[in-house]
Amino acid sequence: MADDPKISQRYRELPREEPPRHVDDAILAAARRAADARPAPLVTPAGRRRWYFPLAAAAIIVLAVAVTVQVERQQRDVEVAEAPAVATSAPRREEPPAAAKREVFAPEPKPAPSPRQPSADLQKAPAPAAQAMRAPAEVSGVVGKLATVSPEQWLQGIADLRRQGRHEEADRQLAEFRKRYPDYRIPEAMLEKVEKR
Amino acid sequence: MLAYGRGDPGAFDTLYKRHRGALFRFILRAIKQRPAAEELFQETWIRVIEASNRYAPQARFTTWLYTIAHNLLVDHWRRKGLSVVQLDEDSAAAAPDNPARQAEAREALARLLRAIEALPAAQREAFLLHEEAGLSVAEIAAVTGSGEEAAKSRLRYAMAKLKAAVDDG
Repeated sequence: MADDPKISQRYRELPREEPPRHVDDAILAAARRAADARPAPLVTPAGRRRWYFPLAAAAIIVLAVAVTVQVERQQRDVEVAEAPAVATSAPRREEPPAAAKREVFAPEPKPAPSPRQPSADLQKAPAPAAQAMRAPAEVSGVVGKLATVSPEQWLQGIADLRRQGRHEEADRQLAEFRKRYPDYRIPEAMLEKVEKR
Repeated sequence: MLAYGRGDPGAFDTLYKRHRGALFRFILRAIKQRPAAEELFQETWIRVIEASNRYAPQARFTTWLYTIAHNLLVDHWRRKGLSVVQLDEDSAAAAPDNPARQAEAREALARLLRAIEALPAAQREAFLLHEEAGLSVAEIAAVTGSGEEAAKSRLRYAMAKLKAAVDDG
């Protein structure tokens, strides 16, 4: 191993630089603003009532899955009922790929694995309830749509924007990607495609 | 961190106080420029705050925090025109002597600081992750996205150069 106690000791004798007070204040203020902006939990997850929270989360998941399945079933029933009338237009009546179809009705196809999971498995949705609550907001807008794909697909989308010369949009997407996946390591080859030259 | 993700601002204060000094010194000594270091330090914590409700404790918080910082450092070095390969090469020259620093510190400490600044960026980073963040070789590899052998090599070379600088004179 490369440990050297003498070096470590000397290193600890170096001046202990600290961030300036105004930087501390700015960071702590940002943290408080973010905490204040978050919706309060359904129940206080502490003490003897701790079990309420996961039970409520489980109930929401079951409900969401049941509604999704029911809607999909109804859609299939409608398509089957209409099939004889449009027998000649077979391509349009083909079932779209399962993943894409699920995306129309349920942006979060399953609680796990989510397509938004980064390859470095340091990030997961914190709680199924919170994940389900975020789903409607995330399907709106271009950023929301891209947020439902994998990080690799998102980056490829940004690379496509660069190739098309849509640099402002690419910059926005890249900034959003970095906010969402701050610890995602973009491979060098992909970095060259997504960063503005 | 989980407590903060659930909306407890006091939990962030505790986390911040625990890591602020070491993280700041890591960034400052990695890029050697105080204004830029303050900016990157702040940006690291902003990203922590923004990602806090997606954090899951599958690795140590320290590893996650320094991975975010590392990614920002890489962006910084790229903006300076350094490629990934160049991060392993010796830098052109050591930082110029700071007369004020030399007046205050003992000569051996000043030599150590100059030697740290003279290390190639990747070796300097590995050393600082080991000393400031207390990361193991495996964790350094995880943070920097390199293999364990590469991380071990960088740390070993860094230690050897610093030892030579400290023992010299």
